[in-house]
Amino acid sequence: MRLRPRHLRTRLTLWYVSVLAALLILAWSGTCALLFRQLRSQLDHFAVQEIETVEGLFFFTPARQLRLREDYHNHPESKDVIERFLEVRSPDGSVLFRNERLGNRALGGMPLAGEGLGGYSERSARLSDGTRVRLVSRVHSLDGRSLLIRLAHSEEPLFSRLKDLLLASLLVLPLVLVAAGVAGYGLARRALNPIEQMARRAQDITPEKLHERLPNDDTDDELGQLARVFNGTLGRLERAFEQLRRFTSDASHELRTPLAMIRSVGEVGLQKDGTRAEYRDIVGSMLEEVNRLTSLIDSLLTISRADSGHIQLHRTVMPVMALAREAAGLFEILMEEKSQRLVLEGDEHAKVEGDSLFLRQALVNILHNAVKYSPVGEAITMRVRNGDANQVTVEIQDNGPGIPVEDQGRIFDRFYRVDKARWRESGGAGLGLSIAKWAVEAHGGHIGLDSTPNGGCTFRVSLPAAVTPQHVSSKDA
Amino acid sequence: MRRVRSYKGNVHILVVEDEQKMAKALQEGLEADDYSVRVAHTGEEGFYLIQAQPFDLVILDVMLPGHDGFEILATLRKRGIQTPVLLLTSRDTIEDRVRGLDTGADDYLVKPFAFPELLARTRVLLRRGKPDSSQRLKLADLEMDVAQRSVVRGGQQIELTVREFELLEYLFANEGRVVSREMLARNIWKETARQTPLDNVIDAQIVRLRRKLDGQFERKLLHTVRGVGFVLREEDES
Repeated sequence: MRLRPRHLRTRLTLWYVSVLAALLILAWSGTCALLFRQLRSQLDHFAVQEIETVEGLFFFTPARQLRLREDYHNHPESKDVIERFLEVRSPDGSVLFRNERLGNRALGGMPLAGEGLGGYSERSARLSDGTRVRLVSRVHSLDGRSLLIRLAHSEEPLFSRLKDLLLASLLVLPLVLVAAGVAGYGLARRALNPIEQMARRAQDITPEKLHERLPNDDTDDELGQLARVFNGTLGRLERAFEQLRRFTSDASHELRTPLAMIRSVGEVGLQKDGTRAEYRDIVGSMLEEVNRLTSLIDSLLTISRADSGHIQLHRTVMPVMALAREAAGLFEILMEEKSQRLVLEGDEHAKVEGDSLFLRQALVNILHNAVKYSPVGEAITMRVRNGDANQVTVEIQDNGPGIPVEDQGRIFDRFYRVDKARWRESGGAGLGLSIAKWAVEAHGGHIGLDSTPNGGCTFRVSLPAAVTPQHVSSKDA
Repeated sequence: MRRVRSYKGNVHILVVEDEQKMAKALQEGLEADDYSVRVAHTGEEGFYLIQAQPFDLVILDVMLPGHDGFEILATLRKRGIQTPVLLLTSRDTIEDRVRGLDTGADDYLVKPFAFPELLARTRVLLRRGKPDSSQRLKLADLEMDVAQRSVVRGGQQIELTVREFELLEYLFANEGRVVSREMLARNIWKETARQTPLDNVIDAQIVRLRRKLDGQFERKLLHTVRGVGFVLREEDES
């Protein structure tokens, strides 16, 4: 199991404190090392000066004993203030002299190769009793004899000072870190507080309360941005939900209407004894409603499949005029019955790439609308244009009553009918245009509407023109 | 007077359908068309029956409790039983259709379907759906010569448009049987999408054809069966 704090603010604080501790320790040890080096080099400097002094004070007694003249002190007790250790060896290593302070402890052992030649050699060493010293050596010539003078000062005061410093920091550092931790936690908490608020609010947003929004969306910082993005998503969700809710309620209403008729016709038919012909009529009437239900459900299925993105388009390149002609051909007879004329004109070369089934369906649905609502004897015009910006436009213009401005925005909505009372005679559940809109938009096109108040309306379908008119992609099943 | 079609009594159809009402309707409808029908209410029962006796056609519902129609069909085909199978399903998705045909179904019908449609498909699967090979068709005093593209009634030539001619030819092919608007939409108008608004178009076309065929004659031949479709026959049944 990993130890991982649950709260972001705790994690942030821990991170912050750890980084701070590492940095402090780094800085502190750096400072200490620097200080130590400086003190030691001071010690070396001091030793060098003293070697200079003592060099001149050595002399050989007549018995060839090496001695240090110590009679230069103004006061005899001044001798005790001097903390140096002093040792002189001959090049073969034999000890010629050790001062009082050193006693019989060895200072640095046998001479090293090149030690003290051509200048001063500094190094750290230990006395035989373990005392740490800083040692400077120099080879000096006296009365024709070569002397290795070693002069050392104890490093112990340095180390004890270092120890004190470290001890002090050991006491102070935790205090600093705790203080920083508390402050950091407070800051993190303050910075993350809006997130917590947002989370609490978001948790409360259920499908029934999709109109609610997150707070803090008015600031320019990252959190404000997050809140705005989230609110945007909520907005889209709300609209989708609203659409779905309306769709479901409309659909059940539409399904209920034929069902109610089937029921009433059946019940009333059973109440009285009828002739065979009357019964046939009753059953036939019920079957008519069943057919209406069936085609309604087929349309609903198409829509639901379109909504869930389950419809695959089998694209081929096709001339739009052929498509328009096919759609027009379907309604030829209806138009003849109403003495309507169809004017089909346009660019034979205009081509689009798409699923002919769905594109034709779109044109058929729009044209069906035009035929239904155009009065007897009027003309319907279908115009195909290879427009600019690689768009092919199909205009379907009728001379019907037109569509009131207040309905134009919703004319492509599902189940929407301008004339709510009369739809059953004209047929259709108000899904044709919404299916047309879906089909056109699924092909990257656009569907629009112009309607003048004095009558007539023009549906305009724009589709991206086929890029390679020669290329015909295979129509896979 | 109905034509005697007793030969069909020898044609055995197995209906595998768990919905009692649906099974009963299918049985009665098929029997009314002179087929002899057995009904199985589960896939297992159907499977047993098929192995016990030969059938000329199996009408198999996809949604069955236990082993569904696809499984039954797959097992049948695996055992080498090649009886034609007509699948019935309430789901109209391309995947289902492809799956059904891949599994070895001979045809596929989506519920709810028009009964005349089922009868038509049945006839096709039994290879009895083709019209008489003779190109001269006759009903009462109506004569149609497909090769000459001429229609004569009571000695009078009747001028038909191409579509009217095709429509009459199709009605002749199904003489005495009701054809639904859906069948006409698919076979005459070649319209595969079910939600295409063609009903008004078909009705208008029928009205015209009737005007030309029956307009001036006492005896009506082209009848509308309300809620179902149209039928070409000598006498009204009711």
